[in-house]
Amino acid sequence: MNTKSTLGWTAIGAISAVLLAALWAAPLLWAMSTALRPELETVSSDFHWLPQTWTLDAFHKTLAAGNLLRWLFNSALVSLAVTVVTMAVSLMAAYAFSQLRFRGRGLIFALAMLAFLVPFEALLVPLFRTMNALGLINSYAGIVLPQVVSPVVIYVFKGFFDEIPADFREAATMDGAGPLRVLWSVYLPLSGNIVWAMAIVTFIAAWNNFLWPFIIVTSNDMMTVPLGLTQTYDAFGVRYAQLMAAALLGAAPVALAYIAFQRKVTQGFLAASGLKG
Amino acid sequence: MASVRLRGIQKRYGDNLVIKGIDLDVEDGQFVVFVGPSGCGKSTLLRMIAGLEDISAGTLELGDKPCNDVEPSRRGIAMVFQSYALYPHMTVAENMGFALKLAKVPKTEIAERVQRAAAILQIGHLLERKPKALSGGQRQRVAIGRAIVRKPEVFLFDEPLSNLDAALRAQTRVELAHLHRELGSTMIYVTHDQVEAMTLGQKIVVFNGGHIEQTGTPLELYERPANRFVAGFLGSPRMNFMPAVLAGEEGATAAVRLPDDSIAEVAADVGRARVGAVLTLGIRPEHLRLSQDATSGGGSGGSGGGIGATVALVEYLGDVVLVHLQVAGVDGTLAAKVNPGAAVPAVGARVGLQFDAGHAHLFDEAGQAFAPSRRREAAHAAIQ
Repeated sequence: MNTKSTLGWTAIGAISAVLLAALWAAPLLWAMSTALRPELETVSSDFHWLPQTWTLDAFHKTLAAGNLLRWLFNSALVSLAVTVVTMAVSLMAAYAFSQLRFRGRGLIFALAMLAFLVPFEALLVPLFRTMNALGLINSYAGIVLPQVVSPVVIYVFKGFFDEIPADFREAATMDGAGPLRVLWSVYLPLSGNIVWAMAIVTFIAAWNNFLWPFIIVTSNDMMTVPLGLTQTYDAFGVRYAQLMAAALLGAAPVALAYIAFQRKVTQGFLAASGLKG
Repeated sequence: MASVRLRGIQKRYGDNLVIKGIDLDVEDGQFVVFVGPSGCGKSTLLRMIAGLEDISAGTLELGDKPCNDVEPSRRGIAMVFQSYALYPHMTVAENMGFALKLAKVPKTEIAERVQRAAAILQIGHLLERKPKALSGGQRQRVAIGRAIVRKPEVFLFDEPLSNLDAALRAQTRVELAHLHRELGSTMIYVTHDQVEAMTLGQKIVVFNGGHIEQTGTPLELYERPANRFVAGFLGSPRMNFMPAVLAGEEGATAAVRLPDDSIAEVAADVGRARVGAVLTLGIRPEHLRLSQDATSGGGSGGSGGGIGATVALVEYLGDVVLVHLQVAGVDGTLAAKVNPGAAVPAVGARVGLQFDAGHAHLFDEAGQAFAPSRRREAAHAAIQ
């Protein structure tokens, strides 16, 4: 391929990337633009990309009138708990599937992977009945527990552990470490990036989860941000500026968390893919 | 220190029996080398002693105590892995002290024992480094240091030098021998490198196909191999083999007919064989002499220049010249070691091969060696 042709393809690639980025960013920018307008301007028939009058009024009213801080706290608590428990359960399960030899290992792993095939919607009723029987409706445990089983995370960790030379486990065993200690002191430090990547992805998924909290929570005080946003709409009527302000405030923590750990996430996925970062 | 006793040890993977009943005694403070080709079961047996593999049948005793079901960390054993298996996220000191930390040894004692081991191995200046900042030789020392700090009764080494270059391997070999003298511990060392086996081992155990072919001191195995496998495995280049037919026996000497129809004498007790039996004659490369006279004379005890041969290749190795020879009726080539100062024949030249009857070996059809006769024993005694 000659230089001219290479440059042409590079230009096409760059333009495509810019267009895709614009397509992705447009709703976010529109939400920001709407949140920074007076409420009256959001229903005006004149279309403007940018506010004619800039104001933080919608943010002030959202924070003052709604229950957003409570929902943020709930989301943070639930997402953190889901992340910590999911990581702990998945790491132990993946280590067992990868490194321990026990009867039925293959069958149990296959069953765990079969969970991929069952949509969460199909589990809603049995999960709800189980949580109800356990008295966990409208509780943090009720929101968290059904979210901590993640076959995909187990699969990724197992794949990563399979690649770690068994000599490390055997050396640690000779040193006197049991399976949990080997996992904690050897495999976990060696898997740092992929654990971070999976943790961030799990945290974001838990933060954005709408369906399960919608089923299990009825109390306004127990709602998470995605669930609370529907209440914002009800409370404020069709007040688009406040709705967008609430959405942006609700998304801000998780966006900040992603930005803070972006490098680790990238390194983790590169490590999992076998490419060097 | 502790002795190691194996009785009827077997390892089975499903229907596949890979270790076929090993009986072996390793004495207190002895340096024993397991040697054999890849897949012979030597590493598997080492891992069974370590506790990393279950024992399918038989008894393992460490210091007279049955240990089949004892946890690896409670066997009083430390192991140096081929890959070293140093934890990459820990410093050298943390690597060395990890086992003691797990055993809840006080921090001051851990530091003291790590320092002591580091001093023995001369790696005191590396203690704060991570393994990735170490050379191969340094990593190897750290791996040994990690074993030393535990004060084990038995050290196990699984091909610890195989990742080092030739020069470092030779140097580390000497250091390991020195370390054994200094610690006086029981050591079991697995290798497929016969030089390591010959130089390090007080006792060598030759494995093949999941069983022991022969056990003995390096010299015993080299001078009196029990069978053709051991004879061919130890020594570089390997022992030369050629077909021979037992032509007769007189006293302590057997007469064999060689492929060129000449008769050669071998100092071996061939009492269990009958005249006409198909045997194999074995001669080490350093025991073959080249003669300019290519007239057939049987090589030993006969007239003429020896076994007729054609020079196929000459390799100058500095301290020795290897001459590869083709002999009619013999598969492949034979090798002869020649002093570089001696006249070295050119490729294609016809030469005669000669050897002493006392330095030749005879093997029966099953590959089992005939015992050397007193004449050969006397020759060996003179050498020793």
